[in-house]
Amino acid sequence: MRISLSGIGRVVSTLLFLWVLTGFAAAGQTVDLDSLFRQAGDLQSEGNLQGAVETLVKVPPPAPGQDGEPFVRSRMQMARIQFSLKELDKAQATCRQVLALYPDNSEAKNFLASIEQERKSRLGAFIDDCLRFLPVLLKGALMTLLLVLCTMLISPLGGLFIALGRISHFRPLTAFCWLVIWLFRGTPLLLQLFFIYYGLPALGITFRPFTAAVIGLGLNYSAYLGEIIRGAIQSVDHGQMEAAKALGMTYRQAMRRIIIPQTYKRLMPPIGNEFIALIKDTALVSTIAMVELMRSADQMFNTYFNITALILAAIIYLVFTTVFTFIFEKIEYRAGIYEHR
Amino acid sequence: MNTAKQPLLELVGITKRFKQLTAVNGVNLVVNPGEKLVIIGPSGSGKSTLLRAVNFLEQIDDGIIRFEGREVGYLRKHGKLHLDRQQVICGLRAEIGMVFQHFHLFPHMTVLANVMEGPLTVQKKGQRAAQEIALEMLGKVGLLDKKEVYPATLSGGQKQRVAIARALAMKPKLMLFDEPTSALDPELVGEVFDTIHALADEGMTMVIVTHHMGFARELADRVIFMEAGSFVVEETPADFFSDQLGNERIRAFLNRLI
Ligand SMILES: Nc1ncnc2c1ncn2[C@@H]1O[C@H](COP(=O)(O)OP(=O)(O)O)[C@@H](O)[C@H]1O
Ligand SMILES: [Mg+2]
Repeated sequence: MRISLSGIGRVVSTLLFLWVLTGFAAAGQTVDLDSLFRQAGDLQSEGNLQGAVETLVKVPPPAPGQDGEPFVRSRMQMARIQFSLKELDKAQATCRQVLALYPDNSEAKNFLASIEQERKSRLGAFIDDCLRFLPVLLKGALMTLLLVLCTMLISPLGGLFIALGRISHFRPLTAFCWLVIWLFRGTPLLLQLFFIYYGLPALGITFRPFTAAVIGLGLNYSAYLGEIIRGAIQSVDHGQMEAAKALGMTYRQAMRRIIIPQTYKRLMPPIGNEFIALIKDTALVSTIAMVELMRSADQMFNTYFNITALILAAIIYLVFTTVFTFIFEKIEYRAGIYEHR
Repeated sequence: MNTAKQPLLELVGITKRFKQLTAVNGVNLVVNPGEKLVIIGPSGSGKSTLLRAVNFLEQIDDGIIRFEGREVGYLRKHGKLHLDRQQVICGLRAEIGMVFQHFHLFPHMTVLANVMEGPLTVQKKGQRAAQEIALEMLGKVGLLDKKEVYPATLSGGQKQRVAIARALAMKPKLMLFDEPTSALDPELVGEVFDTIHALADEGMTMVIVTHHMGFARELADRVIFMEAGSFVVEETPADFFSDQLGNERIRAFLNRLI
């Protein structure tokens, strides 16, 4: 009995304590808005802006009939901090909280307008950047395009030569073509470019950057296309060569008129692939003093430390690769028109 | 047989080896102008190899090929045969038409362009002259209406007729047919035979490898049975189909065909 009595007493005293405590806390909440503002001010001056926002957000919306001034003051202060943090969306939302309660609050309205202004000027800054970088980048892109076109002109011819050499019965030529393929497919393009531009002058052979770049890209891609073209030639039915010979054609005539034209369609997909890779590989020649698209973008980025330059370069590369992919698909279709029933 | 006439083609001791295997073993053959020869024999007996050797698509190891009385195609050095210069070989091939089992039409060219290709590229005729010849030959094989299409759209029989027209456009002196109907559906065999028959009636000299006995009986001046690289018999069709039924191997071969 005594135990149970003292137990009840303990429960009662605990409840009493809790009641007093929550009572104090509730009183503190309503009373201590000032200290919240003070605390937020301190945090703000310490540079802890996030902390200040977290404190200010504790100021509750006014109950009906209560003074809304502290709420409005807290939210506007919050909006300013968020604005300074470049969190424009959040600042805007905070202003709208005020306007939801007090649609005529001019301070919130004005601030909302100035956020809008800031938004616009950001876009303006982006457009300014674009206009500043584009001329330089397009000039670089033109050089990239020139390199691509030169290599596209040279490498199929070089590739055809290498392919025909590889399947010829003239041993020295076969060996030479094998060597070229082995060398240029087996070493990095970057190394080849370095060797041609920086290495050969040591042997008394000097090239201008553009020449060196075209030679490097041309040889490298000739080697790759050589193997592709050889495969395509050898995949043409043997009967075709026999029929051509039976008509009285020479090997050369048979190749030119009968065999090689039949490789065009099956050559297009792999060659298209190579040329897409080529568009991106031209970026490597920026290492041998060529100012093309990649180099231009890099220069802009390093001068202004502005990522817009890189984004624009990426877009230009994508435009190139997309257009070329489209063209190759068209050519492939045309080249295989005789297969359509 | 007109013995005063010089043979168009004469083969003496033609031998072709593939490593250990002797595919053609000392074959002798005389083909006079206007003659039609049919060669039959089991698969692997060397029929294709012999035809291909006549067109220099196979390089022989021994023997002599005479065309219009001249020994052609090979130079003998230290007792070994070497193929003559490409120009000479091409010139000879241009005079011999060849039709393959699998047609080998040029798929990237229209039917007309296929037939024009020989005159145009090999004989260096002009576009108009080549086209004129090609149209004439397409008319001969009855395919003028197909001249603008690509080979992929043709039936097997039509393809083979285009192939014949392509060979004929070179105005060859000799036509070689290597199983021209073996790749065809049975119902398409007739149109190709009719085409070859019409050609025979024009007096074309030809050597035909076929398994079609009715055709051999109807068309051939001589039927040759080949086995293991050699000619076993060489007779007129009448004799061949009556006498040789006594020859057990030939009878067995013929029975298997029927
Ligand atoms: N290019 C080749 N290489 C090796 N063996 C071959 C070659 N061509 C043909 N042969 C062989 O020569 C023999 C005769 O072949 P082929 O002339 O095609 O016979 P057929 O036409 O009478 O069926 C066959 O045993 C064949 O396997
Ligand atoms: Mg055969």
